[in-house]
Amino acid sequence: MPQLDPTWYVSQMFWLVVCFFAMLFIMSKFILPRITDIMDKRQGKIDDYLEKARENKALAEESLANYNKAIAEATAQAQSALETMQKDLDELVAKRQEELNLRLSRQIADSEAKISKSKDAALAQLDTMSEELALNVLKKIGIGNVSRKDVKNAVNATAEN
Amino acid sequence: MSNPMEQFKIEPIIPIQVGGYDISFTNSSLFMVLAVVSATVLMAFCLRRRTIIPSVAQSIPESLYDFVAGLLRENVGVEGLKYFPFIFTIFMFVAFGNVLGLFPYAFTFTSHLAAVGTLSVISLLFNIGIGIKKKKFGYLRTFLPRGIPMVLAPLIIPIEMISYLSKPFSLTVRLVANMTVGHIMLKIIAGFITVAGVLGVIPFVFDAGIVVFEIFIGLLQAFIYTVLSCIYLSEALHEH
Repeated sequence: MPQLDPTWYVSQMFWLVVCFFAMLFIMSKFILPRITDIMDKRQGKIDDYLEKARENKALAEESLANYNKAIAEATAQAQSALETMQKDLDELVAKRQEELNLRLSRQIADSEAKISKSKDAALAQLDTMSEELALNVLKKIGIGNVSRKDVKNAVNATAEN
Repeated sequence: MSNPMEQFKIEPIIPIQVGGYDISFTNSSLFMVLAVVSATVLMAFCLRRRTIIPSVAQSIPESLYDFVAGLLRENVGVEGLKYFPFIFTIFMFVAFGNVLGLFPYAFTFTSHLAAVGTLSVISLLFNIGIGIKKKKFGYLRTFLPRGIPMVLAPLIIPIEMISYLSKPFSLTVRLVANMTVGHIMLKIIAGFITVAGVLGVIPFVFDAGIVVFEIFIGLLQAFIYTVLSCIYLSEALHEH
C-alpha cells in the first residue's frame, strides 16, 4: 500500500507544510480581506439604509402626531366657533323675538285704541241717528209736535233700559 | 485490470535532497500546489469585480466565507472568528485536494497518511499554541479536568493524553480511509468497463454516478475535517 511506504513521508510533509502555509498566507493577505471588505461595505450600506428607514419612520411618526394634533386643534376650534355662533344666533333670535313681540304689542294696542275710538264714534252717531229716526217716524205718523229734546230723552231712556 | 492501488503511488517529478532528506517534488506535491493555485485562482477570479449586490461568481467565495464563519460561530463562538483564516484554509485545502483527485489521471494527496497526518499535526499544534496562549499553565488542566480526585490523576492523565493525541490520528484516518476507499472503488468499477465489452456501459454509468457521489463525499469530508478542527479549537479555547 503506497500510503504506508515511508520513502516519501518527508517530501509529503515538507510540501504539505509549504503549500498549506502558502495558501494560508494567500488567503489571509489577498483573498479574505477582499471578501470581508465587500461584506463590510454591504453591511455598512444595509446599516445606512436601516438607519435612514428608522429616521424616516420617526419622521413619519412625528408628522402623524403633528397631523393628529392639528386635526384635534381644528376640531376644537370648529366646535368653539360653532358654539359661539350658536350662542350669537340664539341671542339674535331672542332679541328679534322680543322686538317683534314689542312691535306686535304696540300695534295691538294702537289697533285696540282705534277700534275703541271708532266704536265710540259709531255709538255717538247711533244716538243722533236714533233721534233722527224717531223724529222722522213721529212725523210720518203725524206726531210732529214732539221736540228734539223729548225724543233725545226718550232714546236715552230706551238705551238705558 | 490494472492495480487499483497504483493510483496512490508517488512518483518523483523533481528530485531534491536537502541535508540527507528527500524532499523531492512529486506528483503528490504537484497536486498540493495545484490545490493552492486553483483555489486562489478561482477565488481571485470570482472576486475580480466586487459589487454591493453580488454576482453569481462573487457569491461563491462569499457563500464559502459565510459557511466556514457559520461553522466557527456554531462550534467555537464569536471569539473563534479570530482564527478564521486558519480554519478557512484547512477547509479549502482539503476540499480542493479531495475534488481535484477525482479528475482523470489526478493524484489525491488527501488519501496519503503522511500528508493528511501533517495537516492534522499542524492543526493540533495550532490548537496547543492557542490553548497555551490563552490559558498559560491552566492549559495543562486539559489532561486533568476539574472535579477529578487527585488519586485518579495517574490514571486520568495518561488516558486524557492518549485521547488528546489520538485526535489528529482519528482526523487523519477518517479522511484518508474515505478518500482511499472511494478512489479504489472508482478504479475497480472503471476496470470492469474495459473487460465487460458492450456491457461495459453498465459499470460506466455506475462509475459516473459514483464520481458525483465522490464529489459529494470529498466536500463532506472537508466539512467534517473542518468541523472537527473547530471542535478541537473550541476545546483549546474553552474549559474542558
